[in-house]
Amino acid sequence: MSTTEKAMEAFVHETGSWVAAQLESCTRCGMCAEACHFYQATGNPEYAPVWKMELLRRAYEQRFTLVGGIKLSLGLDKPITDEEIAHWGELNYEACTVCNKCSMVCPMGIDIGSLLHGMRAGLAAAGAIPADLAAAVTKQVDEGSPLGMTDKVWDQRLEWVADEWEVEIPRDVKGATTLVVFSSIEVMKFPANVAAIAKVLNKAGEKWTVSSKAREIVNFGFYEGSEEHTKLFLNRVLDGAKDLGVKRIVVTECGHAYDALRWHAANWIPEASNFEVIHITGVLGELIGSGRIKIKPGFFNDGGKITFHDACKIQRKGGHIQEPRDILKVLAPDAFIEMTPNREESVCCGGGGGVIAVKAADPVRYASFELKIDQVNTVSAKTVAMTCSNCRLQFTDGVDHFKLDWKVAGLSQMVADALEE
Amino acid sequence: MSEETIKKGLADKGVSRRDFLKLGGLLAAAMGMQLPPLEQSGLPAALGTPARGSQIEQNILHALETKQRLPVIWLEFQDCTGCTEAVSRSVSPSLENLVLNTLTIEYHETLSAAAGYQIEQAKQDAMKKYAGQYILVVEGSIPTDNDGAYCVIGGRTAIDHLKEAAAGAAAIIAVGNCAAYGGLPKAKPNPTGAKGVWELITDKAVVNISGCPAIPEATTGTIAHFAIFGTLPELDNLNRPKTFYGKTVHDRCLRRPFYEAGKFALSFDDEGAREGYCLYKLGCKGPTPYNACATIKWDQGLSFPIQSGHPCLGCSEPNFWDGGGFYQGQSTPLDKPTVAVVGAAVGVGAALGIGTALVNQSKKKAKKGGSK
Amino acid sequence: MNQQTVLEFARGPFFYFALLFMLFGLAYRLFSVISLGWSKNRVPNKGSQAKGVFMTFLKGVLIWPFIPWVKNTFTRNPLIYIGGGLFHLSLFVVIILGTPHMLVTKSLVGVQWATLPLPIVDFMAATGIIAMLILLVNRMIHPVMKLISGPAEYLAWLFVFLPMITGYMMTHHIGGSYESLFTRHMITVDVLMIWIPLSRLSHFVFYFFSRAIHGQEFGKRGVAV
Repeated sequence: MSTTEKAMEAFVHETGSWVAAQLESCTRCGMCAEACHFYQATGNPEYAPVWKMELLRRAYEQRFTLVGGIKLSLGLDKPITDEEIAHWGELNYEACTVCNKCSMVCPMGIDIGSLLHGMRAGLAAAGAIPADLAAAVTKQVDEGSPLGMTDKVWDQRLEWVADEWEVEIPRDVKGATTLVVFSSIEVMKFPANVAAIAKVLNKAGEKWTVSSKAREIVNFGFYEGSEEHTKLFLNRVLDGAKDLGVKRIVVTECGHAYDALRWHAANWIPEASNFEVIHITGVLGELIGSGRIKIKPGFFNDGGKITFHDACKIQRKGGHIQEPRDILKVLAPDAFIEMTPNREESVCCGGGGGVIAVKAADPVRYASFELKIDQVNTVSAKTVAMTCSNCRLQFTDGVDHFKLDWKVAGLSQMVADALEE
Repeated sequence: MSEETIKKGLADKGVSRRDFLKLGGLLAAAMGMQLPPLEQSGLPAALGTPARGSQIEQNILHALETKQRLPVIWLEFQDCTGCTEAVSRSVSPSLENLVLNTLTIEYHETLSAAAGYQIEQAKQDAMKKYAGQYILVVEGSIPTDNDGAYCVIGGRTAIDHLKEAAAGAAAIIAVGNCAAYGGLPKAKPNPTGAKGVWELITDKAVVNISGCPAIPEATTGTIAHFAIFGTLPELDNLNRPKTFYGKTVHDRCLRRPFYEAGKFALSFDDEGAREGYCLYKLGCKGPTPYNACATIKWDQGLSFPIQSGHPCLGCSEPNFWDGGGFYQGQSTPLDKPTVAVVGAAVGVGAALGIGTALVNQSKKKAKKGGSK
Repeated sequence: MNQQTVLEFARGPFFYFALLFMLFGLAYRLFSVISLGWSKNRVPNKGSQAKGVFMTFLKGVLIWPFIPWVKNTFTRNPLIYIGGGLFHLSLFVVIILGTPHMLVTKSLVGVQWATLPLPIVDFMAATGIIAMLILLVNRMIHPVMKLISGPAEYLAWLFVFLPMITGYMMTHHIGGSYESLFTRHMITVDVLMIWIPLSRLSHFVFYFFSRAIHGQEFGKRGVAV
């Protein structure tokens, strides 16, 4: 089967009433372009979200509609070619973080992000994925983690974190209530975050555990858009949870993993609905709100202004918008300042959706980060807090690249630092 | 009789010089006389300048003084005599009365005293005597189905009568919507195959004085124009004299300001109706029909339908009986699908849509199965 | 064939056909889409989907159009926002609040309502026409719009523009006798009605779906929309 055929098949498979109704309602007004940070940063018209999903629309029109058939037979539209598939692969994997900001401005309310995920399904089926992303997926299939966090590495790192920060990290505890699954970004690059989450949960007296089976929450299959891979990685987490008999799964500071496990898993794997899936931001809000942990008010008041970066998958698509703000208002009542736009209208960091893993995307990734720099500089914040390690990776890299003097902080870590003894 | 000049004929009837002068002015005004028709009249060019009302009046008076009276043959077919009523029922000394007096009506079924063979014979004599000179006025539509059997006069069909009279006519004037465009008899389903004069007489110009009834001054004014200048007035694309049919009823309507201001009567007995608001929402057809109702009016300028509170029916336009409900707006479609027809269209559309979706679903399933 | 005959055709059989074709075509389009199959979303909700749907219609239809500066689309691209907004407002005023158009609805379904004075409707019609011209120019010069516009987009523009301009000319008696203007308006309206189900102009049907989906998706996640 040709590359195009594979993609077309996946497009057809993706397109039910839900997708078709939204494709039909698009008026091609081009407003979504103005929402896209990649278009904003580069001015490349091909980065308009409506254009990025063009193949999905054409596949629908050609395969499902009368008008499409007529257009094809009259030569007004041409069958989709392998070159086009490859080109749209670049557009979608290098210049889209599936942040869904476009949906916020679409006058028709089309959930463009989801349609773009559908695009990825077709592109992934056709293998039109950037080599570095494909390699990361293969690595996760083979080793269990795209960042090379094998069983052994995981074991050593957690051992080291426990030693270094003097926290207890309960492992494979049967009968625990809560399973915490860290992302390899945290374990490998932001180990302090792992320690912080452990500290907070221990302090709250939560019956929690990590699982050696479900050790990686990151889901590169979801980035890629391959249902097969996504399910494989989700099942690893769910199997771990099932073995330990936990009631809920806490996703740590990782955005797309939360999106996949919280908002999609149950539709692919019915038993996913046996578990309550919650993001660590929600857990923090809950623990502080119920008084199970206490944080020192004003702890971060004196280190310059602190602003909060809303992540696409945790805030805009996850709904944990209020908790971080409530926490920051306690931690830094005077220093906390909002960027504009914020909350569900927030501007994407530019590194999500697997873009940060694609080397070819570096120029546009940095270009779009400049929008974020402007936002932060406008409020002259010295610290940017966030709840997503992927954003944090992009911020750390951006701060480095542009030689900025901000501090990039994970919210869990801030909470852990400010815990009342 | 017709050898005497129009002026002498009037004088014989006791019209004074003063009244005669007034008539000239009235005619000029009624016909909206400007220079072009004067030039066409063949009168000395010097008379035409300068183009001032008084000068034109002088020219008309000159014409009336010198021209001979015109013989007229007035045929009635499928009509209601309403147009004759309109023309003849006037208070003396009115314009139309005077003009009628300047003509010699050789044949008119309603007005002639004679009847039967006598009048038919008189008509034949007149047509012979004045061949090529008389004016033919037609009132009523002509039935054409079943060889014209629906209207037979003196054993001959209306078509026959019309064609015979038209052959020797100097000018043909169709008075009223029936004669002009078929009118009521032509309304769906048009059982008699009624037609207007100009559909049957194609080798000669037919002037259409449409309306139901035609405005008398439009009829008499046109006849007077021919009497004075010997030519037909300038016509629009429906062969109506532009003088009378140059503007729509809406253009000159006294309720027009209310239309612009969005003040409408919503029923015939509401406050809006009492206030004299625009009747557009009650189905007034004013914007499309071209006629002089709003300016000349009826009964010596007394009133016209809109003034008296009734929406315009558009009676000066072809097929006005079939042009949508009289009490439905001008803008409305002429025909609307019934609920059943709409239901069928939507139902068939939906069924085909569901069918397409099912075919597409099977495509999806086939692909899904294949890839696994 | 004289003007009157053409007008009667445009107001009569052609309109009849166009109306039926539009209803038939929209039913076809709608059902071919909604019968394709909806998969049930088994994911437990965080917030209320119903509330999300309610809020998104409330905001999308009633609030945002009147306080555009809360949307950053407006601040980034006011042209499309204002142009598109005014165009739709103009359509609403002219088609719903214009007397002749209300009478069409009245004759078809028997319901009538109060309408606006002609000068206001006329002003909005002119606004809509100008907005459309600006949007056309924008479509021709904006890089994104150039990229995403093909013959279908320009044809759709044309078929919407023609009834608007002929309607305006008719109101002002520009360019011919009233019936010929009326005829042109009716013919273009009929063509538009036929074109609606064949093109993206049918978006007003699918709008309710995409808007509801937006409300569901965000409401489910507990995000204000």
